[in-house]
Amino acid sequence: MPDLQATLDHIVPEDTLTATERRPSGPPMIVMQNVTKRYVPERAALDGVSIEIAAGEFVFIVGHSGSGKSTFIRSLLHEVIPTSGRIIVAGHDLSKIRTSKIPYLRRNIGCVFQDFKLLPNKTAFENVAFALQVIGKSKHVINTQVPEVLRLVGLEGKIDNYPHELSGGEQQRVSVARAFVNRPPLLLCDEPTGNLDPQTSFGIMKLLERINHTGTTVLVATHDQEMVNRMRRRVIALDEGHIVRDQSRGVYGHAN
Amino acid sequence: MPINAGYFFKEAGTSFKRNWVMSFGAVVTIFLSLLLIGVSLLIGNVASSLIAGQEQKVNIQVFIKDDASQTDVEGLQRKLQTNDLVKQVDYVSKDQAFARFKRQTQQTPDIARNLEGNPLPASIEVQLHDTHNVQKVVNTIKATPEFKNIASPPNDPSQSIRYGQDIVKRLFNFTRVLRVVGIVFIVMLAVVSLIFINNTIRMAIYARRNELAIMRLVGASNWFIRMPFVFEGMMQAIVGSLMAIGVMLALQFLALPKIQNTIRFMPFGSTNGYIWVVSLILIAGGVLIGVFGSWIAMRRYLKV
Repeated sequence: MPDLQATLDHIVPEDTLTATERRPSGPPMIVMQNVTKRYVPERAALDGVSIEIAAGEFVFIVGHSGSGKSTFIRSLLHEVIPTSGRIIVAGHDLSKIRTSKIPYLRRNIGCVFQDFKLLPNKTAFENVAFALQVIGKSKHVINTQVPEVLRLVGLEGKIDNYPHELSGGEQQRVSVARAFVNRPPLLLCDEPTGNLDPQTSFGIMKLLERINHTGTTVLVATHDQEMVNRMRRRVIALDEGHIVRDQSRGVYGHAN
Repeated sequence: MPINAGYFFKEAGTSFKRNWVMSFGAVVTIFLSLLLIGVSLLIGNVASSLIAGQEQKVNIQVFIKDDASQTDVEGLQRKLQTNDLVKQVDYVSKDQAFARFKRQTQQTPDIARNLEGNPLPASIEVQLHDTHNVQKVVNTIKATPEFKNIASPPNDPSQSIRYGQDIVKRLFNFTRVLRVVGIVFIVMLAVVSLIFINNTIRMAIYARRNELAIMRLVGASNWFIRMPFVFEGMMQAIVGSLMAIGVMLALQFLALPKIQNTIRFMPFGSTNGYIWVVSLILIAGGVLIGVFGSWIAMRRYLKV
């Protein structure tokens, strides 16, 4: 791997951006300090992971199945509680957070999944509206924000369609709209293009990039080599719970 | 937080529509349980009023021979009146006894007409504060010298005093058993309804697991997630208890008078006031079961 890495690094033109420009400065959105998670005592899903992700960054998390990507993402949501270590997300210290405050943490984090997780009996509009409804937003807010975000993801003509009437890419756009409608400062995507063809995937990535341009920190866990190589963003590679590579403007890398 | 309360009603209603077989099951179980609780309360009430009627009859009657001296009669009356256990002492003259007899045999007036003169003895009727003390008072009466003087028939004083000690004992045993059985029954039914509500809410949680996952992800607060389930359990319980109350009222005002008509000799007493108390108990019990049942289900199956 080092050889390949060196080659790839050589190919990537390093002169276009300086290091400070590549990683937007500002208060960190995510801080992980020596985070370890063991589901079973003998094997660690995350092993002493320390990382800092600044507000406004676009980051890929890459690695094989079982490398700890999902545990990484889910620990940021406090769905998985680390065995040891400290995680700070959007100013919340998760080791000290009270159960009753977890919903408020999650209001700051949008989530997109491989399987979309749309409600089949609700239209695109209703699916997005649901996310606002259940955090107690008023009808007025819902009626202005939902069409707006659906326009942003390019679904203005399909707001009254049910998920089964939409293509996979369109469904994922609804799901992105739902994650973003509340304008969270952080967007987590777990294999967002896992079920989509390359062309559609690229469309979704472009959408995530646009969202990133609004200042939202975007974290994408993915297998999609081509996509990662094409986007040239910061890449954090995980293997057996360790960070094996953290590279700005990186590529997927084969040996990982 | 501006939350429209209509949301919870709508959610509970939607869940009922979507899951109506299960909800219907819960409603019917609650309905039947509460109905049984209500009916056993009502029967308990009728039984205790019947028993109260019987207990009234358990009062002591002392028959007086026709030529008893006025002083002895009055002496015995005075002694009884000063007894702490005694509530009331009445003198029933021969004429009064005969009048009462005629009233009791109204249906067959020939009996009274065919009697020669008035064969009924006069009597002293003693009512006690507590019927448990019958035996004690009877013993006191038997020990007084006046009693022996006025007893009718004079040759066998034990026959001149009537108080039905067996009935007393049996009634008390019966009421005690009735009460215990009733309580056990009611507790069992309450537990069954709890389990059923618990089950329906579990099903409702399962049916909505996708929505719940999303609600958790987008940061719906815990009480917001729970509320529709509490509402659902409560609504099922309220519908069930209203149905039970409806049937109870029908029983009370349509069926009971008919039953009473066929068995006139056993006065049920008035349960009209009691039925409203029972209704209140049912609705309160229903709501309690509903809320408690869904709470348990949520604690176990809804990890928020």
